[in-house]
Amino acid sequence: MRRIAAIVFVVVGLALGAWFLLGPTDDGALVRARLRAFSDAVNRSTVDGSGPEARSAQLGAFFAEDVDVDLGQGAAPIRGRDTVMGMAERLQPRTAAFRLQFEDVSVAIAPSGQAADVHLTAEFIRRSITTGEESLDAREFTIGMRRVGGEWQIARVTAVDTLK
Amino acid sequence: MLVLAAISFIVFRWVLIPIRTEGSSMLPTYAPDKLHFVNRLSYGTTGPARGDVVAIQMAGPHVLYVKRIIGLPGERVAIAHGQVQINGSPLSEPYVRHRRPWDFEEVTLGPREYFVMGDNRGMSVGEHDFGRAQVDRIFGKVVF
Repeated sequence: MRRIAAIVFVVVGLALGAWFLLGPTDDGALVRARLRAFSDAVNRSTVDGSGPEARSAQLGAFFAEDVDVDLGQGAAPIRGRDTVMGMAERLQPRTAAFRLQFEDVSVAIAPSGQAADVHLTAEFIRRSITTGEESLDAREFTIGMRRVGGEWQIARVTAVDTLK
Repeated sequence: MLVLAAISFIVFRWVLIPIRTEGSSMLPTYAPDKLHFVNRLSYGTTGPARGDVVAIQMAGPHVLYVKRIIGLPGERVAIAHGQVQINGSPLSEPYVRHRRPWDFEEVTLGPREYFVMGDNRGMSVGEHDFGRAQVDRIFGKVVF
């Protein structure tokens, strides 16, 4: 009995040690929170009736000045925050509402603490306003984030082809 | 009762993972918005076989593709006018009901690659995700 208790004690100790060493850092939590705030802002902006400029400004704040977006599959790369903001302005949430959510988010913080690599699956759930029917599209992305003035910003977005 | 609850928890958490299908790419075999299970232990000793329906993970296990294994590692796969060719020979696919004349240039699969497709070949090729999947992305075999 004493031996079992000792084994359990060692296993629990090792698990706690591993959690402290390999578990999420504060920066990891901040990056996740920033991405969650981004998806909340996207989702809010498609239903709250805010004007195109307000929507563009809200979303633009999440991106670095020199952001580089590569959606793959023959899509032209999108370079720069202004381009992203221009696209956000043209977003027309009239015929369908959509919801963005991130799943399976893993974060690796660079040793400098000023950059992070994120791997996630983005789910786009579109709901037809006329029929109410929902359709789901999911894509895998790697996202490079950079800390600018204490705030984490999206600096690079690259679509990953799950099936090649 | 507690033991039963513990066994159920372990089984449905780590062995038979419940999934809900979305989309129409696996019609008519799997209809959208239905509950199925993925057996994570199916490929413990042997790799996936041709014809198996598998779950393929994206960034993690919460969003999965459900596709059928069409080509095995090392094989050449092509599609000509909707007909899948394996090493130059047509593949019999009784699970496919309607075919559009899809074309896909021949690829040779790597030693750890499988070629996967959905059963619904009546949809537009641009709306159907298919292609090569690395073995470590295969999450398990879809059962029930």
